[in-house]
Amino acid sequence: MSGWFGVLLAVALAAALTFLTLPVVAIFAQQPPGDLVSALGEEGALDALWLSLRTTAAAVLLILVVGTPAAYLLATRRFRGRAGLITLIELPLVLPPAVAGIALLAAVGPSTLLGRAARDAGVQLTLATAGVVVALTFVAAPFYLRQAIAAFEAVDATLLDASRTLGASPARTFARVAIPTALPGLVAGTALALGRALGEFGATLMFAGSFQGVTQTVPLAIYDRFATDFTAALALSAVLVAVSAAILLSVKLVRAPDAL
Amino acid sequence: MRRLLALVTVLAIAGCGDDATVSGGGDKPQIVVSAASSMKEALTACAPDFPDADVRLQFAGSDELAAQIRQGVPVDVFAAANTKLPDALAQEGKLGRPVTFATNQLVLAVPADGGEVDSLRALERPGVTLVVGAEGVPVGDYTRAVLARLGADRSNAMLANVRSNEPDVKGIVGKLTQGAADAGFVYASDVEAANGELRAIELPAELEPTATYGAGVVKAAKQPDAAEAFVDDLLAGGCHRALLAAGFGEP
Amino acid sequence: MSGLSIEARTRVGAIELDVTLEVAAGECVALAGPSGAGKTSVLRVVAGLLEPADGRVRCGGEVWLDTAVGVDVAPERRRCGYLFQEYALFGHLNAWRNVAYALHETPRAQREPRARELLARFGLDDRAGARPATLSGGERQRVALARALARSPAALLLDEPLSALDARTRAAAARELADVIRDAGVPVLLVTHDFTEAALLGDRVAVIDKGRVLQEGSASALAAAPATAFVADFTGAVVLTGQARRGQGGTLLVTLAGGGEITALEGEPGPVAVSVYPWEIALARPGEAAHDSARNHLAVDVLSVTAVGSRVRVGLAAPQPLTAELSEASARELELAPGGRAVASFKAAATRVLPL
Repeated sequence: MSGWFGVLLAVALAAALTFLTLPVVAIFAQQPPGDLVSALGEEGALDALWLSLRTTAAAVLLILVVGTPAAYLLATRRFRGRAGLITLIELPLVLPPAVAGIALLAAVGPSTLLGRAARDAGVQLTLATAGVVVALTFVAAPFYLRQAIAAFEAVDATLLDASRTLGASPARTFARVAIPTALPGLVAGTALALGRALGEFGATLMFAGSFQGVTQTVPLAIYDRFATDFTAALALSAVLVAVSAAILLSVKLVRAPDAL
Repeated sequence: MRRLLALVTVLAIAGCGDDATVSGGGDKPQIVVSAASSMKEALTACAPDFPDADVRLQFAGSDELAAQIRQGVPVDVFAAANTKLPDALAQEGKLGRPVTFATNQLVLAVPADGGEVDSLRALERPGVTLVVGAEGVPVGDYTRAVLARLGADRSNAMLANVRSNEPDVKGIVGKLTQGAADAGFVYASDVEAANGELRAIELPAELEPTATYGAGVVKAAKQPDAAEAFVDDLLAGGCHRALLAAGFGEP
Repeated sequence: MSGLSIEARTRVGAIELDVTLEVAAGECVALAGPSGAGKTSVLRVVAGLLEPADGRVRCGGEVWLDTAVGVDVAPERRRCGYLFQEYALFGHLNAWRNVAYALHETPRAQREPRARELLARFGLDDRAGARPATLSGGERQRVALARALARSPAALLLDEPLSALDARTRAAAARELADVIRDAGVPVLLVTHDFTEAALLGDRVAVIDKGRVLQEGSASALAAAPATAFVADFTGAVVLTGQARRGQGGTLLVTLAGGGEITALEGEPGPVAVSVYPWEIALARPGEAAHDSARNHLAVDVLSVTAVGSRVRVGLAAPQPLTAELSEASARELELAPGGRAVASFKAAATRVLPL
């Protein structure tokens, strides 16, 4: 494309690329890699990484197990109030994390009925790892649900009918036809939820606090260190960037193996 | 279409403003003041009345604000919850000579309607949920210094009950008002600002629970004269009186 | 009673469906009508995919549906073989696994061999490992058919089985399908918008429009004595079968089964179906027809004369059944009556040829 319009497009692209990639590159470029690696070895950093891994995995697992059948129901049945229900489920998507934190405190915080019931039952939510999982699940679930609902909606209803005429119960149809057919969408939703959970900060801090090994996930650890130990903050950030990139790549590979 | 474009442009420009408190209007010079969170209520009240400039306040942990100044963020005044950070910045040439403008008492805060903890000693009991500031944040450093003066055994017993290291003293307050913790170390001014939800247990004088607040004019300030005037105000003017009213003490 | 008996009354979209049909074991009834007539809905009621407001479905002695007493057997428990219009093959499974999906009652170890065996019967043994996306339209249709038959169903439901195929494949598929229908030995309900397809595959044809069956009977009876103008329009084409060979000057000579020879201007040698519209057929008294190389002539027996609106449908036998449509005036002038003889003529150019 020639002329001023072509130049404008090129400039826009260059600006966008620079703006988006420079901060990410800077994470890796500011300090020598050796410093970053040794900063990771410091005990608090490893604790944070391991905690983030455990809590994110637990949250995603919970989301998948409960969210997949729920999304299927919403996608395949038409009932009154369906649209409203879906909007309600998607709400946490647009909630600022701080609001999410407040919401969780208001719902299952230590001064609420549910919170006290949990404590009496022996499940400590605030200032405990379980609380982190609750916060992560709350903020990340809508990301998965929305993709899953769309993916199941896109499954040709005739396939589900065909499965029934071939002798498969609704449960078998769900497991052997709906899920495999919707899989690329489900995987994309899982990746989004994973990414969101890994990066969650505000709601976790408000609801679960920040304590090494118990509630201080990588984002909280970065925040804890950035004023006093910038290298450590960089190192942890670098790890998160690498993990996020890996998630993104694997989703692309699952959806379109040749497109990369 | 054109109207939509205009609307989007206006919103974008409006969005570029930050959420720091803006006071007043008119053509007075504008200064940006980075202040420790514990001063939030007091300064927010007194800043609009500052005669020499429009004051924009931003609150965070003092260590975070110091880090920003080190990175070259152009604020005009730095008011910290300790003297360590202003002194360090002054040594690095980033801050003018700091002055001590107020003190605050570190207190043991508990929920006002009673609970597990009614004294400092109670913190040594296993099972008590304690929330303190993170290391590097002034309130966190003060807390650890104060506890250290109790001796290693007692200090360790208490610190073993810590369940969260908050990056901001307001986070500690939040955990207490939510009922998530039995006790927390905050400033007297924070208990004052909590509207009766918290009760302060004073710490014995031999533990030296006094926090000394230092402030200075940032070398990279855009309005050094107005900044200087504000520091004076913190020392002896309207804002100083506001701090006293909020529970701070004389330096 | 091993046949299929259907009664359904319900509202589907804008149509009020009201259908009663009986299909005997080994018989194929073709439900033919325009799109939106409710044909597929009837299949879905039989399969259990659509519950009518009021209805009864019995198959092979079993009651599958009876709204009066609250019986509604779930689709997976009705033994229906359903061939969907776009085949509905599972894209994530290869051909034999698609067939094996129906074999959940077969012991696990036997599923693959049985599935492959079924595919082999349809000539797909070398494509058994292929994914549906890599199969041709005709191959997919056969996999879907094999899959529908895998459970030895008590009834076979076919939704527009040939419409998704291109013309060339359609012929071979029609032949195959006719064999399958015959060998299955169960009631077969076939749905189509194409009367020719219905005529070729169905033992009986039921014409449906706006949710109601307008007329039922053999294809030739419907064409010869349509009950309404709609049926007359719908059962437009006359279909004759025969063997074609090349003639002179690019023409095709077709020897009709049972006697008679006609010329067409298109088509390939081999077994063919010849189709002409009744209004393109002119009748004349024997001996009075003009001999013209551009026209086909067949000596016919007059079987029936039926008035339809302002036109007259004449049922003929050549000996294959044939229908001509004339104006009232022409019919009167020719003094046509059942039992008489006549000569049917139509242009070679009006003779459509379909490979069989």
